[in-house]
Amino acid sequence: MIRIEGLTKEYAGNAVVRDVSMEIEAATITVIVGTSGSGKSTFLRMINRLVEPTKGVVEIDGTDTREMKAYELRRRIGYAIQDHGLFPHWTVARNIATVPKLLGWDRKKIDARVHELLELLQLDPDEIAPRYPHQLSGGQAQRVGVARALAARPDMLLMDEPFGALDPVIRAKAQTDLKSIQDRLGSTILLVTHDMAEAIRLGDRIAVMSEGRVEQLAPPAEILTHPASDNVRNLVGDDDRPFRYLSLIPVSERTEEGTAEGTPIAADRSLYDALAEMIWSGREVLPVVGEDGSARGLVRRGALLDAARSVA
Amino acid sequence: MSRPFVFLLRLALVALVLAFLFVPEAFRPLLEPFAPVGAPAIYDRASLLDLTISHLLIVVAAIVPATLISVALAILVSRPIGAEFLPLSRAIVNIGQTFPPVAVLALAVPVVGFGTWPTLIALFLYGLLPIFENTLAGLTGLQPAVAEAAKGTGMTGRQRLFQVELPLALPVILEGVRISLVIALSTATIGSTVAAKGLGEVIIAGLNSNNLAFVLQGGLLTGALAVILYDGLGEISRMTAARS
Repeated sequence: MIRIEGLTKEYAGNAVVRDVSMEIEAATITVIVGTSGSGKSTFLRMINRLVEPTKGVVEIDGTDTREMKAYELRRRIGYAIQDHGLFPHWTVARNIATVPKLLGWDRKKIDARVHELLELLQLDPDEIAPRYPHQLSGGQAQRVGVARALAARPDMLLMDEPFGALDPVIRAKAQTDLKSIQDRLGSTILLVTHDMAEAIRLGDRIAVMSEGRVEQLAPPAEILTHPASDNVRNLVGDDDRPFRYLSLIPVSERTEEGTAEGTPIAADRSLYDALAEMIWSGREVLPVVGEDGSARGLVRRGALLDAARSVA
Repeated sequence: MSRPFVFLLRLALVALVLAFLFVPEAFRPLLEPFAPVGAPAIYDRASLLDLTISHLLIVVAAIVPATLISVALAILVSRPIGAEFLPLSRAIVNIGQTFPPVAVLALAVPVVGFGTWPTLIALFLYGLLPIFENTLAGLTGLQPAVAEAAKGTGMTGRQRLFQVELPLALPVILEGVRISLVIALSTATIGSTVAAKGLGEVIIAGLNSNNLAFVLQGGLLTGALAVILYDGLGEISRMTAARS
């Protein structure tokens, strides 16, 4: 667990981050959302002490981070950034091995770990491991960046706009993949983004930052249904609220008994996806299938609209 | 130009220089028309091979310490702890570059006497600036994301320097060494005016005795060596840069 208390950063008397406190449970994703200049990156960088706090405490599992050497702290915290920051003179394998090497793991253990991580991130180890970063696509480089951050099984993962440089299609895939990796590994993630849709898709909890303060810290549904301030409401976007809300609910929650015709939708997709499919294919009812392809029932357009209306 | 062709051209130049150094007599017919009647066409007061080796040794003896000191200085001033020495270091290496080598020779002779030393000092001072500035540019021109990642992964300052900053700056540093080396190679000919042993001796002898053949062989040899060195180092720096 990470405990943050009264964290403040001032530059020449100007507070960039003001008195931020929060607790982050292990094995959850917390997303910090805010416009540029809201202090969200500075806040994140104070956790691994790339920025030294002016005031306040960060505790990881009860240990005050100020009591550790900064570089030792950073080796315990994975860090992934927007432009991936892969070392251009090292192969993918060497890049991923960065922190294990610094920690003095033996070669065999490192090789096995690199192999394991590349497979976890759906990269072919034989093909990708010997490549140099300039030989990777944007999506591959981003995944290698995440693999490097995860390499030494860190206590937590800090991600600063990790998908910022990706195009929308790859971006959506990268978000889904991150979520499933987090589910599998039970990692604790603190992610910074300016994109509320991304925050809603990924976050177990969302902290909305503005002018250095946290305006609201709550689960996505609550941010949508009960925005604490005008800033939060603006970031959510009033027009999009029903759609954002739909994107949070899995189809399985509104599935009814029965059978329907046509291409089915998977039960773990969101109601938002179901609505899109209905509009696109001109249907009122979609059949629902489970992960194994077995029929689960159907979902009606009326039920979707009811769900969306419940936000208002 | 295609790569095999360039490679052949390099090989031919090296072969030509070696042939001239080992069997200069073979080139007599080519140089004879440029020598005054009755005068020797090939420099005969010392072996051309010895002069070339001595010339190269002086250059290396000046550029190796210039490289070590410039790189060390650039590393120092690119660390937070040495940042305040940046203007001072710049001033020092710039003075080395602004002084004409001839002036350095003239000033150095009364202090260290005639011979190789004044030339070494001049070449050393002259070699500092390109290497210093290039090293500094290489170390400070690191992509921000890479610098951030190096810190964020928990490298210590020393690990960042040796594992990330220097390897990535290497092509730019080599480029600086290359420039200094070529400047030193040509400037070293002036050293013969203060009795340094080198190819300048041949050129000066030619000028004194009005023997164009001497001037040509001294000048062309120096030029050819400069081309070979510049080209070879360029190839090495391309190899180090290929990955980044």
